[in-house]
Amino acid sequence: MVTQVARKRWERILVGARIAAVLLACVFPFIVMLSVSLKPPGDETTYPPSLIPRRITFKNYADLFNPRLFPFMRYFQNSMVVALAAASLAIIVAVPGAYAFARLKFAGRELVQRGILSAYMFSGVLLVVPYYRAVIRLQEALSVQLVDTKLVLVLTYLAFTLPVSLYMLGNYFRTIPAEIEESAMIDGCTRTGVIWRVIIPLSGPALVAVFIYAFMIAWNEYLFALVFLISPEKLTLPRGLAELFNTQHYIWGRMMAASLLTAVPVVSLFLALERFMTAGLTVGGVKE
Amino acid sequence: MAPVLAATRRRGSSVSQREGRLAWALLAPSVILVGLVVVYPIISSIRMGFTHIPLDPAMPEEFVGLEQYSEIVHDPEFWLAIVRSLVHTAATVAGSTLLGLAVAVLMNREFAGRGIARGIVLMPYVAPLISLVFAWRYMFHPVYGFVNYWFVDILPIFSGPRDWVESPAFAMPMVILFDIWRYFPYAFLMILARLQSIPKTLYEAAEVDGAGSWAKFRHITMPELSFVLGSIVVLRWIWNFTKFDDVWLLSRNVVTVTVYAYLRAFQSFDLGQAAAISSLLALGLIASVSLYVKKVLRW
Repeated sequence: MVTQVARKRWERILVGARIAAVLLACVFPFIVMLSVSLKPPGDETTYPPSLIPRRITFKNYADLFNPRLFPFMRYFQNSMVVALAAASLAIIVAVPGAYAFARLKFAGRELVQRGILSAYMFSGVLLVVPYYRAVIRLQEALSVQLVDTKLVLVLTYLAFTLPVSLYMLGNYFRTIPAEIEESAMIDGCTRTGVIWRVIIPLSGPALVAVFIYAFMIAWNEYLFALVFLISPEKLTLPRGLAELFNTQHYIWGRMMAASLLTAVPVVSLFLALERFMTAGLTVGGVKE
Repeated sequence: MAPVLAATRRRGSSVSQREGRLAWALLAPSVILVGLVVVYPIISSIRMGFTHIPLDPAMPEEFVGLEQYSEIVHDPEFWLAIVRSLVHTAATVAGSTLLGLAVAVLMNREFAGRGIARGIVLMPYVAPLISLVFAWRYMFHPVYGFVNYWFVDILPIFSGPRDWVESPAFAMPMVILFDIWRYFPYAFLMILARLQSIPKTLYEAAEVDGAGSWAKFRHITMPELSFVLGSIVVLRWIWNFTKFDDVWLLSRNVVTVTVYAYLRAFQSFDLGQAAAISSLLALGLIASVSLYVKKVLRW
């Protein structure tokens, strides 16, 4: 009996140790970011490397807010504008579309659903060349500027997020009892009135999840920003930081401070609302 | 009621026709956007593959038949890139799925702080790529990085420091490791959700029959998971094979087929050839995607 108890105890310790190891592996790069961002120049390149800074400085963070040293604020602002616009538009476009999928019967529904869902499996790299070419041609045909604008990025990211947004919202709308809608329609509500007055007020969690999902896609995207953005003052965070890194004029501490502040908005949004987000993630996964 | 019905008939639209029109109106913005940004480029890349596209957009395009495809398949660099992509994809799909499975099984039990632990496991997956890339490049720095310190000085596994970024032989393992680390939470999340829906009574019954933990895993857990594992492998295969940004940002010395296509398009400015490569990849993937949507995924 004693050995049985002892074995159970050992098992518990072993499981605990394994869980701790997994969690450490997941957060380690974030700890590295924090540690290096607090080190003064020189201390981050000493050997052997150490996680605990010998001296702590907040100068790297102060530098981020100094536009003459580092255009971080400008990139942050660009990313924020693009991501907020893409996420808001995702809600506006996906809510009516998802309602049609969830509640209306129409010819070609199966085809559209499959088509849109398949679309989300095509990575950007398969699309970027012909898409770039199409945008250039459109730009010349209409004589409006599209390359090097936020607009083209917003519309691109919006289209990328629609398949999963439609899917998540459609599934959520199906869980709303049809009787509520029917009684609203007996009271004289039209279909569009139902969406506005019944569906939207009852779908808070799903709307939040879709908004954050679209925000994350736009906030993190690199390839299309790489292809479409030219002017230094228009770069988004992933594009701008990658650019600075490759100039070799980077200072590790400053880059790590920037990395951490880039990660904070999406990671904290996600962790705070994980409950709502995971349902969407398991739907078929977030494509990054 | 009669006048209303008559009125409907006069306008020639039944309730279902009106619903159909409304549905299409509601869906129009989504369909147009996805059509323009995803569907049109895929079709267009097939056409572009047969066309020589001059640098100057004012110059006319020229139909060249299979010339660009033939150039590609005769370029040994292309085949090397395909091999690198296959190695990267096979290793990252297998690695991230198995690690996700192991961690899901490990964490499918009651313990203090389980909710927080789950959130932490998802961090590599939800954090911005660019932040993670900087941290990893620092950790793998050949001169003062943690990895060389651990595996050369502390545990003498390597005989000397490795150049994880500049040397292609070592950059590839770093990129693979990174993508396993970054994408295992996806497998973890999908598998954990499935594990939690397996009835506990199945395990209890097996215990009564004297089954050990391996037997329970082998005969209860695995059959229940086969469907979700299949979905993960197919999806990750598609996504990892067409991965560009992770590979490109971590090291310029791992030229997978997507990096190869990017260089063709935006460094050699050979859009036609790049489109030919994309359309070859797209055609290969359309086959697997349609199979996937039909067989595995249920809307």
